[in-house]
Order: sequence, then structure tokens, then C-alpha cells
Amino acid sequence: MIWTSFLHAVCLTLCAPPLQDAVVVEQPQEPEAPKAQPAVVPVVPAADLRLHAERVYTGTGEILKNALIEVRDGKISSLRPGRSAPEGVLQVKAVTAGMIDLSARLHSNFNSVEQSTEVQPHLDVAGSVDLHDKRFARLARTGVTTILVNPLDRNVIGGRGVALKTHGPMEVEARRLNGRPILRGAIGSEPSAANHAAFGRPTDFYSRRPTTRMGVEWEWRKAFFDAVAAKRLPEKDFPGAEDLREALAGKRTVMIQAWTTQDIRTAVYLDEEMQREGFGDLDLVIDAGAEAWKEPGILVRNSTIVVLPPHTAGGRVGSDGAFLAWNTASLLVGEGLTVCLSAHGAGPGSATLGHQAGFAMRGGLSFDQALAAVTSAPASVLGLSERLGTVHEGMDADLALWNGRPFAATSRVTGVLIDGVIVVDPR
Amino acid sequence: MIQQSTRLLQRIAQTHLALTLGLLGCSFLLSAQAEAGEKYAVRAGIVHTLAGEAIPNGVIVIEGGRITAVGSADDVKIPWDAEVLDVPHLEAYPGFVEAHTSSGMDRPNESVSVAPFLNVRDSIDPVAFYFEDCLRSGITTVNVQQGNACIIGAVGMVVKPHGMTVEEMLVRPRAGLKISAAPKSGMSRATQAQTLRGAFTGLRLHLEDLVQQKRNGNDFSRREALYQGRDLAGERGKGRAMMSKGWTVEGLELVPRGEVDEKQEPLLDLVEGRVPAWIYCGAPMDVRLALEIASDNGFLERTVLVLDDSCWKAADLIAEAGVSVVLDSTLVRTEMDPKTEEEEEVFIPGVFKDKGIPFALSSRNSTTESLWFQAAMCVAHGFTRAEALAAVTATPANILGLEGEVGCLCPGAAGNVLLTSGDPLSVTSFVEYVVIDGNLVYDRSVDIRTQHLLEGVVPEGTESHAEEPEVEEDTRKKAGDEGGSR
Repeated sequence: MIWTSFLHAVCLTLCAPPLQDAVVVEQPQEPEAPKAQPAVVPVVPAADLRLHAERVYTGTGEILKNALIEVRDGKISSLRPGRSAPEGVLQVKAVTAGMIDLSARLHSNFNSVEQSTEVQPHLDVAGSVDLHDKRFARLARTGVTTILVNPLDRNVIGGRGVALKTHGPMEVEARRLNGRPILRGAIGSEPSAANHAAFGRPTDFYSRRPTTRMGVEWEWRKAFFDAVAAKRLPEKDFPGAEDLREALAGKRTVMIQAWTTQDIRTAVYLDEEMQREGFGDLDLVIDAGAEAWKEPGILVRNSTIVVLPPHTAGGRVGSDGAFLAWNTASLLVGEGLTVCLSAHGAGPGSATLGHQAGFAMRGGLSFDQALAAVTSAPASVLGLSERLGTVHEGMDADLALWNGRPFAATSRVTGVLIDGVIVVDPR
Repeated sequence: MIQQSTRLLQRIAQTHLALTLGLLGCSFLLSAQAEAGEKYAVRAGIVHTLAGEAIPNGVIVIEGGRITAVGSADDVKIPWDAEVLDVPHLEAYPGFVEAHTSSGMDRPNESVSVAPFLNVRDSIDPVAFYFEDCLRSGITTVNVQQGNACIIGAVGMVVKPHGMTVEEMLVRPRAGLKISAAPKSGMSRATQAQTLRGAFTGLRLHLEDLVQQKRNGNDFSRREALYQGRDLAGERGKGRAMMSKGWTVEGLELVPRGEVDEKQEPLLDLVEGRVPAWIYCGAPMDVRLALEIASDNGFLERTVLVLDDSCWKAADLIAEAGVSVVLDSTLVRTEMDPKTEEEEEVFIPGVFKDKGIPFALSSRNSTTESLWFQAAMCVAHGFTRAEALAAVTATPANILGLEGEVGCLCPGAAGNVLLTSGDPLSVTSFVEYVVIDGNLVYDRSVDIRTQHLLEGVVPEGTESHAEEPEVEEDTRKKAGDEGGSR
């Protein structure tokens, strides 16, 4: 028995999450305008399904008691409160919309980083997504039904993120959610980490710029200035220039990782500089904005959306040594800002996205605000509010089924529906 | 004049304290602050004794550091001279018990592989933030043991997370010897097992050698003991026959116990059942070695297994051996079928509960997942509240041999009380006060670090409040052709 266990253990070690086999290649893309999303085809055609919940937290401030939910073709076809559970129907304690993690960090490894230059706005991370990765299913089991997959922040501008359901067709193009395009980049120490100057030692791959925080900032500004200049001088055009111009025109969201207050400032000031220069106005989302609590004012004046990293017991979080106060979400929401929470991809067995919502409540967020921060707020960032983030008729049947009050430490997600398919059966 | 008299009073007080401490002798170690007779009482909205029904409007009376009475305010009279913590808006719970940790030490591991002669007492840092954090999360009893990277590690001790010195913190010295059945870094499993078995063979050879020396009539060991300044008076000067359930050395009664090599003595204590063993298993296969060592050397009954989350697979073996366990902080383990690659989640406490194995939960230190959270996770996975709370109170208390002493609010137990703003398993509840041995040791309203963490309050003088620089209106013309060269 010990031996079988041993073999099992060895196999588990060997079968660690596979590395992606796809490598990002330069894909000069015609920037495409956001188009109407074709209906996602579930792996198996969604059987018509009925579900009875003691409480449905719709995400619009309403709590429906004893509600009967009907699902047809992957969508919620009807939602009727005050019904008794019909014979044989799936019964659960509580239902919320499936949770959305905008910083799931699923492909945060070097295979998702094209390292030929620091600025790669034209790349699409979809090219390096491995849908066979077990972490999709693990996230699904915690009630996370949609994630934004971003390139690793080792480039200054890493490329375009891709929003995906955590379960569905095994082709990225079929599964991707074409909402609002998101351009991903970073400010702080991470994009320059491990880079070094080329003198005094043999030249290697890391002999490149930038090597400092200020170098990273300079890359950002240069990229936007170059993109604007290239519009007038076609010979100065470069791959990705059009993507940057679209970002300046507000046609795509710019999501910048900035942990500390100094980096959050840099991001906001970058946006404001673009406005002053008359280049445009970035639709800015700060990811991992742990220290947003220190200077909420600059975020308010720029209407910046903030995605918070996971809460920690000591407050310190991330590679830049940022301090996340637990009332940050509550403080920012109080200032009228849109806040999303993230578990940075934590699967079962650790503090999941649902737990993060609970922790934000520990810091003073109300239940409704916490629910919004993991459902409707991220849905609106993705430009998918019409389909995701709330529970009502016509929405995608992405549901988290709970065995108690959502986000309480004493309850958990026991069932999950994605596009009407029971991904985790609570029975 | 006034100053002089104040100083005089202080000196009298100091002398009085010194005398009291002197009279109490060693017993002051057990409760350094609460002197006998000092009275403290808590009046709370609900008292959850965890040893019976919850008591609305309850009172806990603590005298000399011990609980003397618990009951409804109508039934229990608070002594007139007791200091009272009157908190009708709060709920009282017994302090949580951390059954095993390697936190709070300077460095948790010694590089010497077999080092039973070490004691964590010399490594515990009373001002470590870890102990402060224990109070915040309601932990009032901590079993500090060497880390898992050892073969035979140091002697551990049970402490309370409060006090300026290790002596003040002490609850129980010599709370067991740490052993690891999992290979330490750089060792193969075979070497680990062989060294572990060899340590006990070494003890046996040493004892046999001492007996032989006595029979030969030489006094090398006595001279060595005297040379090292070891105590050979009283019991230490007498020999005792070996009292082990595993193996024995004939004629050990000839050897005064003080002559046993200091480096071997803790192992002899283990074999003779005077101290428990905490054996770490890093994989299911380690469980067999751990049980073999414990059983061959006669200390199986006093063995607690400290388990990695993978060890649920050896639950049958553990149940058969009848030992208790301390679980890893990872409560949900993802197992993958190597053939189908299907993943399955195992809720580990559930496995041990089903097999009837007594288990204690442990905190995931330095994260949000402290004991309360672990207990809450158990409720989320179908445990009753009583079962979940027992895994962080009564069960670890039993495992530590402190049943009735900690982990419940009952007469005779240590006066360790948590006052929480609500259900301690709820994310929105807080530990507002902690009383240890009848002393108020934690008050959240003056906890600067918690305020920093929860409210983003930067304590005065700890960080410069940088002003946001004025952004001047940029009057330059819009960047044109030279845009790229800036």
C-alpha cells in the first residue's frame, strides 16, 4: 500500500502542470473593433436544467428566496422566486453569479513572454494559452467561471490579454470572450527584474534595458510618443503602434500592474501626460494596486479602476513589498471607485477568490459590494456586463452554488455551472 | 520628598515581589505574572465553555491564573476584590491551541542531524511577531518544536504567546522530542531511516558500555560527569532499572542516572516514556518508518505524528497504531489519477474524522489562514461547529497532555479567555481581548499593527507622509515629429 502511495506521489510530481507547447510568435494583427460575441457553444450541448436555490444573490442588490432557475442553451431562461422545489430538481442553499478573476495569473511563466523587445502591444496571449492546464478546472472548482489571462509582467507592455471561461471548448478561439480588448503591461520592478547593463560581463540574454523603474516608465512614454509620431511619419511605424493608438483613443483598456503607491502614481501620471499632450485618454485599470489606499485621490480624479491582489495576514504582498491594508477595497468603493478582487489564481485548499471577498468584508466592505467586486465589476471591465456578472434572465448560465452564505469562511462553493453545463456537481 | 517616598515604596514593592517569587520557587515559572490570590473576572454576553452549553450573560472568575468558577451572572458571584472585564457585547471562548509549530524561533532547524540535546528554549524569541500574531488570531497556547528538517531534533516546549522572557512564556518544558521520518535535505530515505535507527542503537550501546564499565569497576563515566559539572546528587546519583516498553539494558540500575551522557539523556527519556515524540512524516511512506521507530523503541503510546497533507493515504495504518496526529495547514489536497489525469480533491480532516483518528489542525503561519480559518474550513466541508472547534481546542490540548488545562473554560483550567466580537469562525468577527492566566494581554483597540493592517493607519513616526507633488500644467505644444526622440 505504501508502495502504491509512493508511485502515486511520484506520478503526481512528474505530472505537474504541463508547460505550454505553444510559443508566442509575432502576429501582426489588424486591430479589430469589438464585435458582437457569437454564442459560445458548450462542449456538450447544454441540457435544459432546473435548479432550486434557497437564496439567489442576483448581484443587483436583490436576494431572491426559494428561487427556481431554468437554464436553456447555456443561458438563464427564467428566474422565479417564491417557488417550492419540484421533485428531483437540483437543490442548493445559495447561488451567485460565477466569479470573475481579472488577475488569475494562469500563464505567468516565461512561455508567455516574447522577449525580443520590451514593448509588444500587438501580441495576443491567446497564442500561448494551454487549455489543457489543470488550473482552469481548479479555478472552476472554486466558483471562478471567467478569468482574464495576461502575459507575465516581464515585458513593459506584454500584449493583449484574453478573457476565457474556465470550462468550455478546447480551442482558445472558440472559448475566448470578445468583450473589450485589454492591453496589459507593468510598472515597477518586475519588467526590469534580472536585466542588467551589457558592460563588465559577457553579453547574455538579460543584457538589455530597462534595468530600473525609471527605465520602465520611460519605455511606456516612449512607446506612446512613438506611436503618435508614427501616425504622421509612416516610416516610423512599428508593430503594435496601432494598438497603442487605439489605447490612446480609449478603444481598448490599458491594464497596468502597479503594486506600490509610487508605481500607481506613475501609471496615473502617464495617463494624465497623454491627456495633456492631447494624445488621448487611457482607459486605465491598475492591477495588483495594493497601495491604492495611500492616495485614493489620484485614482478618483482619473476614474481609475483597481484590481486588488490577495489579502495577507501581515499586509505585505507581491514582489515590490507593497502593503495592502484590508480596508482598501472598502475605502476605494467609498470613494466611488470600481474595485475588483483577485486571488491570483489560488485554487482549492488556499484562500480562494470567494475567501478574498470575505477578507475584503473583514476590512469593511459590505456583502453587496464584495459580491460586485468578484462578479459584476470585473464583468464590466471586460465589457461583458450584458452576459456575465449578475443572475437574471438572458445572462450566461455561469453560476456558483454555495452550501451556505457566500464568502463566509464556514461555507464554500459546492457546485459550478458554466454556460449551463454542470462543471462541478454539488450532489 | 515625594520622589523619595515614591522610590521607597517602589523598593518595598520590588523586595516584596522578589520574596514572593523566591518563596514560590519554581512554580513562578508556570505563571510568571499572576501571583497566587490575584483575582480577575470576565463578564461576557455569551460564554462558550466548549465543555457544555453556552452560557448567556456569563461570568468567568480567575484566581491565581486558574479559572475557579464559570456560570451565569445570576449564579456566579464575582469576588469583591477582583478586577473585572465587563464586556456584555462580546462572546467568550477558550483560547485556541496550536498543537505544533516551528515559528517563533530564531532558526527552526539545527544542521546537526541527531541533536536531542538541544532545546528550543534557547531559540524562542519572545518578541517575535509570530507570538503577537497568535494573540490577534486567538491562539493562547503554542507547542514550539524544532522544524522538520532534522533526523532527531531538539526538545520542544509549550508556551503561551505572551511574556518578555521564555520563562514567563513557559507552560510546559520538555514537551517532547522532534523526530523526522522524512529525509532531510541532501539525504536519501534509506540514509534517513538508517541514521534514525542508528541513533537508538547508539543509545543502547552507550548504556551497555556504562553498565560494563560499572561491572569492570572503573569510574570513567563518573569522573567524566564530575569533570563536566553534572549533577550527581539525590536522584541523579542513583541508578534505576530501565523502564522501557521497547528494549532494555540489563544492569542499568548500576549506573547513576547523572552519569548518562548529556547528549544521550533526552533519547533515554524518550525510550523510557518520560517525554512524548513528535514525528514528522513528509509522505505516506514515512508513516511506516515513524511507527516502526516508535514501536521498536517503546514510545508508540507517547507518539504524535506531524503529517504532510499527502499522508492521508496512510490513515489506515495510523488508525491501527492508535496515535494522534497534527494535520498540515493544507486542508484540501488535489490528487491526480496518473492514468486518466483526472483530479480529485480530498478534504483531509474528513478522512481522519472518518477513521476515528484524533487530529489537531494547524495554522498556516504568516498567511490569513490561522486556526480560526482552518476550523471554519472544516465547517464549510460539513463538520459540525463543535467538531471544528474541538480540533483547535480540546483535541490539541489532549494531544499535548493538557486536557482540562487549556482548550476549555472550565474550573481548574488556565485562565485563558478570548473575547470576540462574534462567531470566531466568521470573517467579520475579531478577537477584541485576550486574557492569559488571568492577565489582560491583548486589547485590539490599542493594537497599532492591526489598525495598520485593517484600516491602513500608518503609525506615527514610522513612515514619511510624502506629499503628492504638484503637477504643473504643461503648456508645451502637442508633441509632433520629435515625439519619439524625447
